[in-house]
Amino acid sequence: MMTTAYKSKDLATMYFIVATVLFGAQLLMGLIGAVQFLYPEFLFEIFDFSVARTVHINALVVWMLYAMIGSVYFLLPDETGIETVGIELGKLGFYVLTVAITVVVLVYVFIQIGPAAESTIWLINEGREYLEAPRWADIGIVVVVLIFVYNVYATAIKGERTGIVTVLMADLLALAGLYLAGMFFVDNISVDQFWWWWVIHLWVEATWEVFVGGLAAYGLIKMLGASRQVVEMWLWVEVAMLFGSGILGLGHHYFWIGTPEYWWEIGALFSALEPLPLVAMFVHVIYDWGKQAGKNGSNTINNRPAFAWFVMNAFGNFLGAGIWGFFHTLPQVNIYTHGTQFTNAHGHLAFFGAYATILIGMFYLNLQSKNGIERMRSTFNSKMAISLISFGVMGMTIALTVAGYGQVLVERAQMGATWDAFFISQQAQWFVQGMGWRLAMGIVTIVGFVYLAIDLLSISKVNHEKV
Amino acid sequence: MTFIEPFTDMVPSFFGMLNQGPLTLTIFLHTIIILPMFFIYRQEKVRLEREGKQ
Amino acid sequence: MSNKIVSVWTDNNFWKRSAAWITGFSAILLIWLTFDTLGQITQGTDTDMQKDAKGLYFSKRIPSATVINYKIGYEYSDKRGHEVPTINGKEKFFGRDDYSEEEAAALLHLGKLGSQAKNCMNCHTLLGNGAYYAPDLTKAWLDPKWKLMMAITQKKTREEAMAEFLQHPSKYPTHSRRMPNLDITAAEAKGLVAFLKHMSAIDTNGFPRNFGKKDITLRERSAK
Ligand code: HEM
Ligand code: HEM
Ligand SMILES: [Fe+2]
Repeated sequence: MMTTAYKSKDLATMYFIVATVLFGAQLLMGLIGAVQFLYPEFLFEIFDFSVARTVHINALVVWMLYAMIGSVYFLLPDETGIETVGIELGKLGFYVLTVAITVVVLVYVFIQIGPAAESTIWLINEGREYLEAPRWADIGIVVVVLIFVYNVYATAIKGERTGIVTVLMADLLALAGLYLAGMFFVDNISVDQFWWWWVIHLWVEATWEVFVGGLAAYGLIKMLGASRQVVEMWLWVEVAMLFGSGILGLGHHYFWIGTPEYWWEIGALFSALEPLPLVAMFVHVIYDWGKQAGKNGSNTINNRPAFAWFVMNAFGNFLGAGIWGFFHTLPQVNIYTHGTQFTNAHGHLAFFGAYATILIGMFYLNLQSKNGIERMRSTFNSKMAISLISFGVMGMTIALTVAGYGQVLVERAQMGATWDAFFISQQAQWFVQGMGWRLAMGIVTIVGFVYLAIDLLSISKVNHEKV
Repeated sequence: MTFIEPFTDMVPSFFGMLNQGPLTLTIFLHTIIILPMFFIYRQEKVRLEREGKQ
Repeated sequence: MSNKIVSVWTDNNFWKRSAAWITGFSAILLIWLTFDTLGQITQGTDTDMQKDAKGLYFSKRIPSATVINYKIGYEYSDKRGHEVPTINGKEKFFGRDDYSEEEAAALLHLGKLGSQAKNCMNCHTLLGNGAYYAPDLTKAWLDPKWKLMMAITQKKTREEAMAEFLQHPSKYPTHSRRMPNLDITAAEAKGLVAFLKHMSAIDTNGFPRNFGKKDITLRERSAK
C-alpha cells in the first residue's frame, strides 16, 4: 500500500484525536444523566441533569463533526490523487475550532445558564437541544466550516474528481448550509422548531447519511479492493433513495408542532421509505465482502478492525435508524410515543449505529495508513472494544425501549400526558428497571470505550505486516 | 357519502386540497417524483444502445 | 468501457441523473411546502383574537400573544377528530385581561428568551421535543396539577402559583425528582408563564391526546 506522506492525513489525525477525547467526555456525561434518573439528588443544583445532557449531546454532535472533517481530509488525497489544497488554513481552522469548543464546554459546565436576555443566547447557551452552542460560537463554526468546504472544493477542482468526491462536494455544501437554519432567535416556538428540525433532521437523515454512503464506498474500495465502478453505482442509488425519502421525510417532525395537517401524510410515507436505502447499504457491504472473498480468499480484508466497524455500521444503521425509526414514524404511533424514552432508545441506536461505528472505523484506517501497515489485524483490545461498546449500546437501547413502552402506556395512552401522569409512569416498575439496566449497559459501554482508547494508542505497535 | 371528503385541514391551502383522504397527497408527490425517471431511463437506454453499436 | 450493451439498471449515469433529479425536485417541493407552512404558522393578530373570541375556536394555528387575556380550553372536535384549543371568554392574567398587543408580545418575548436561557428543553419537552427527564410543557398551563400547587404555594391564581413555583422550584417538591433552582426572577417568571399559556393555545393537531382527562388515579381516589 502507498503511504505517501500527505499532510492532509496528518491534519486528519489531529481531528481524530480530538474526536476520540470528546467521545469519552460524551459517555461520562451520559453516565451522570443515567445516574440522576435513578438517584435524583446526585449532583442536584450543582451539575443538574440539563447540564450533563447538554454536554452529552453537544459532545456527541461535535465529535462526529470532527471525525467527519478528519475523514474527508484523510480520504481526499487518495481520491483526488493530490495533496489537499489549503492545509495551513485547515490547521488554523482546527485550532480556532478547538479553542472555541473548549470555551463553550467550560461555559456550559461552570456558568450553565444566564438571565432571560439576548446576551445569554450570544454568550452562554442558546437553549435549543443539540444547537445549544452560543451564537458567537455558531459564527466561529460557520467560518471554520467554510474554510473546510473551500479546501475540499479547491482540491477536487485541481485533482481528479471521482464519483465519491462529487457526492461529498454536494453533500458537504448542503450540510454546512443547513447549519444556518439554526442560527436565529424567534418568539414563535412553532417557527423555531420548524427550522430547528431543518438542521437536525436534514443532517442525520439526509446529509450525514449520504456522507456515510460516501465513506462506506471509499472503505469498500480501500479495504476490499472492490470495483470502483460498481461501488459508485451503488452510491448513486443510495443518494437517490436517501435524499428521495429523507428530504420530505422531514415531515415526521411536523405532526404536532403547530404545523398543518398535511404533514401527517407527507411525513408518514416518505419517512417510512427511509429504511430502504439502509437495507440497500447493508446488502451492498455484505455483497461486496462475499464477492471479494470469493476472489481472494481469507486475504480479502486489509484492515480487520476497521472492516469490523464498517460491517457494524451497515447493520447498526439499518437497525437503529431503519427499524427503530420506523417503529415510531407513523403519526398514529407517534402521537403516543412522541418525546418519550422510546424516542431516546431510537436516538441512541441510530446515532451509534449509523455514525459512531463507521467513524471509529475511519480512526483505524487512519492508524493503518499513518504507520505504514499493509494488513492490520484485530487485537484482543480491538475485539473487546467493538463487542462491549456494541453490546452496551444495544443493551441500553433495549432497556430504554422497555422503559419507553411502559412510559407510553401509562403516561400517554392511559393518563393523558399531564404532570402527574408523567411521574406515575416514571415510578412504574418497568420504567425503573429499564433505567437500572440502562445504567448497567452504559457502564459496559464505557468499559468498551476504555478498551477502544487503549487499542487506538497501542495497536500500531503490535506485529502487523508492514509495507 | 360524498366523493370528495370535507376539508379537514384547519386552513385551506393547495397541499391541504390534495389531502383528500388516506394517502392522496403523499401518493401524488411520490408519483411526480418517480415519473420523470422513466424519461431518464429511456434516454440512457438510447445512449447505451448507440454506444454499444459503435 | 467495453462496447457491449449493458443494462440501464447498472449504469452509473442513469443513477447519477436520477439522484440529481430526485434530490433537486424533493428540495424544491420542500421549499414550496415551507412557504406554505410558514404562512400558516405565523402568529395571528389581536384583531383575529377578538374575532375568534366571539366563537369557540381559534382561526390561527399560532394565536396572538394577547391570548393571555382569554380563558383557554382543550376540547375534542368532531370535525377534526382530535382535541383542539378553544377560547372560553376573558380571563384575568396577573390581575388584568386588557394586555395590549405590544405588552403581551413583550411578555411572550421575555418568556421565550427565558425558556432558552434557562435551558428548559434539556429536562422537559416543549411541543414534544427536548429531554425526557421532566413533564411535557406543551399544555402545562392547562395541567390540573396547578390546583393543588395553588394550595401548596398559597397563591390565589394559577399564574401566581406557576410563577412562585418557577422562582423556587426545589422548595416545592412533588416527586423525588425535583426541578432545580434556575435563578428565575419575578419578571422572568411572569414572562415564562405567559409563554406557557400561549403555547397551550397552539394548535398541535391533537397532541397530547386525552390531556388531563384521566388524571385521577385510583390511589388518589381511595385517599379521598
Ligand atoms: C455510557 C453510555 C451512555 C449513557 C449512560 C447515556 C445516557 C444518556 C441520557 C441519560 C440521555 C438523556 C435522555 C433523556 O433526556 O431522558 C441521553 C441522551 C442522548 N444520548 Fe446518550 N448515553 C450514552 C451513550 C450514548 C451514545 C454512545 C450515543 C450515540 C452515539 C448517545 C446519544 C444520545 C442522544 C442522541 C441523546 C438524545 C436523545 C433524544 O433526545 O432522543 N448516547 N443519553
Ligand atoms: C442515522 C439516522 C438517524 C438518526 C441519527 C436519528 C436520530 C434521532 C434522534 C436523536 C431523535 C430525537 C430527536 C430529539 O431529541 O427530539 C430522532 C427522532 C425521530 N426519528 Fe430519527 N434518526 C435517524 C433516522 C431515522 C429514520 C430512518 C426514521 C424513520 C424511519 C426516524 C424516525 C424518527 C422519528 C419519527 C422521530 C421523532 C420521535 C418523536 O416524535 O419523539 N429516524 N431521531
Ligand atoms: Fe427525522
